[in-house]
Amino acid sequence: MNYVEWLRVRNALRVTAICLGVLIVICLVVRISVAAQFGDRSIVDRIGREKDTVVTHSVVDGYNRTTMTNAREHTTVVIEDQPGGGKIIQVTEPSHSSRDRSESVEVGPVNVSTSQESGGIEKTTIETNRPVPFAIYLGIAAVIGLIVATVLGAPFARENDGHLEFAFLKPLSRTNNALGIIGADCVGILGSMIMAIVAFAIMHAFFEIPHFDFSGINATVIPVAIALPLSWYALLNASTASLKRGAGAVLGLAWPAAIVSQTLAHFNLGGSLAGQAFHAIFWGVSRIFPLTYVSFEGHDSDLSTLGPKLMVTATILTGLFLVYGALAVVQWRRVEA
Amino acid sequence: MPVVLTVDPRSGVPIYLQVIEQVKRSVALGVLAAGEQLPTVKQLALDLTINPNTVAKAYRELERDGVIETAPGRGSFVRGNGSIETTKTAATDVARDAIEAAVREAKSIGLLADDIRTLASAAIDRWFREDA
Amino acid sequence: MSTISIKNLRKTYGPYVAVDDLTFEIPDACVFGLLGPNGAGKTTTFKCMLGLARATSGSVLYDGAPLVPETLERIAYVPERSVLYEWMTVAEHLEMQRRAYKKFNVARANELLAQFGIDLRKKARALSKGMRTATMVALAIAREADILILDEPTSGLDPINQRHVLNLIINESARGATVIFSSHQIGQVERAAERIAVIDRGRLALEGDVDSLKADRKIVEAILPSESFALNGLAGDSHILRLDRTGRIVRAMTSSDAAEVLAKFEALGASGLRIVDLNLEDIFLYAVSPADATADVVEDTKL
Repeated sequence: MNYVEWLRVRNALRVTAICLGVLIVICLVVRISVAAQFGDRSIVDRIGREKDTVVTHSVVDGYNRTTMTNAREHTTVVIEDQPGGGKIIQVTEPSHSSRDRSESVEVGPVNVSTSQESGGIEKTTIETNRPVPFAIYLGIAAVIGLIVATVLGAPFARENDGHLEFAFLKPLSRTNNALGIIGADCVGILGSMIMAIVAFAIMHAFFEIPHFDFSGINATVIPVAIALPLSWYALLNASTASLKRGAGAVLGLAWPAAIVSQTLAHFNLGGSLAGQAFHAIFWGVSRIFPLTYVSFEGHDSDLSTLGPKLMVTATILTGLFLVYGALAVVQWRRVEA
Repeated sequence: MPVVLTVDPRSGVPIYLQVIEQVKRSVALGVLAAGEQLPTVKQLALDLTINPNTVAKAYRELERDGVIETAPGRGSFVRGNGSIETTKTAATDVARDAIEAAVREAKSIGLLADDIRTLASAAIDRWFREDA
Repeated sequence: MSTISIKNLRKTYGPYVAVDDLTFEIPDACVFGLLGPNGAGKTTTFKCMLGLARATSGSVLYDGAPLVPETLERIAYVPERSVLYEWMTVAEHLEMQRRAYKKFNVARANELLAQFGIDLRKKARALSKGMRTATMVALAIAREADILILDEPTSGLDPINQRHVLNLIINESARGATVIFSSHQIGQVERAAERIAVIDRGRLALEGDVDSLKADRKIVEAILPSESFALNGLAGDSHILRLDRTGRIVRAMTSSDAAEVLAKFEALGASGLRIVDLNLEDIFLYAVSPADATADVVEDTKL
């Protein structure tokens, strides 16, 4: 591993750790202040103080159950502690609307579902601490990875800018030299992703012990999440490998270029020859960028096709990583001091 | 070993010749005694801030001229036997160069042989007057 | 053994010819001085020697073989301008070099840095130009390399440190290393170098052993009987490189056998004959500069 590049990686990881640390501290502060206001103890007390409300506590199968009944308003709230630290809250009340409505919303570990029972009764069930699809965490980690990949993204250009008398006079081939640098950066990118997962797990744990769902596509997302920032890094490296100056401009323009080309590729520019040509160009350009392969349309929530689609994406991204990496190395072999 | 050598790298005279001349001069004056050890090549090079191979070259010629002798592993020494001869040879070499230069210069500005001889005699008379 | 032979080296950058048809050899354990005006191609030559630039044609061979990564284990280089990483400390640079090469004398590096008065904890950006040069020199010497190449190693240094670097070069030579260095300080080259090459506008203007050059290259000065006195083709003499005439004074620069040339002038009837020694600066200036501005007539017989 290249020592100089390792120092750069270490600095980048240090900054990442500090940023994540700040997030953790903020989260802790929020948690503590929220707990005072919204802990279930205080909610129970507040509801219990309302007129005509009867509060009973019981223990079912070793877990606490709190039942609050308001006979006048025909409303019952049952809070059950669950094994693993979550809660199930069931609210039974007269229906508010005449429509026959059943809906379910899931946000991370929390699931809220509403159903209409017979006799004009609406039942709302809130479940907390459901297993979180690990894919969400991987998504967050991938974003951090993309950022760190951009920060580390032009290692050859940085050497080209007045340091080749050190870099190229080492007694090893330029190829091995290049691979050592790429290796250090990849370790850094992956390291930052792990740090992100750990940091968010810690923040999650402030609220409740996180449970992860690794089933189904959650495992398949892992190679995609790893390959995405690495292929982005490889693209940035290949775009800047021959530059001495101006690498910063390329890194800065890379994100807008990716987003713009992807957006433009979506538009149907009409059937005219010009329209088709431009569409083809935008579509072609967008294929350069790794992020293009990771955006899924709404209908892809059908899990049976999503799994194979993710494997294809992972393969494409890995291919891009290797191709762009090779392009970068080949360019750097030809650079003159 | 108190060896006082100076060289002028900016002069047109090759440095190794200057070193040779200076060593001969030192021997002639007795500053370098018979059997005395010269500085090592490396030491002299560092003292004078000149190339070590230049010093080595000078030492080789001094050895060829019979002024010094080198014992491998021990160093270079002023030749001990026939020291009076060595001193005289060295002194003669130094003086010869100076006199040749003077004669050449005098001739170049137009003096004839007899003029130069007259000047030389006068100079000898003057500088050896104390010895008379 | 580390003989470096440069053969017909040519390097162009687009239409610009940086060096052209350079051929010379650097013998083992020699101290070799590379002289030349600014922009002459000295740095380009070094770059081609080290594989930092690709020669357009020609070759650089180390003991008969082209440069390969393993050869770089034996070569240490001090570039002309700072290549230190601004954001790294001197100590980190030391560590970098220690890890990169099999042979790196950490104690010697520390010793040299202390002699130059450089604080290891300082970041490179906090160092003055001279300190940066000194750092690179220290890192190179600590390599104890067989071949040491230095490009203007004393630029930016005060006279004391300049002398210190010169002593380091002499020390390396005494150790048996081959040292190649370029400098605008001819006095330094004069002291330390055994052989020199002069590069001017990309071409080899002069090459040889310093002592031989000083012995051979002399000015024969003569006063001619009259201003229009014919020299009878003396200018074509094989020993005369250049002839400057100002009024009745003639100065002939010889490539060898100055005494013989002097005799020829004498035979012609010239007077006021003398042989003037040339130091390395004179030799260098004659090799690179156009005619002496005060001469009425100059015949450049051969370069």
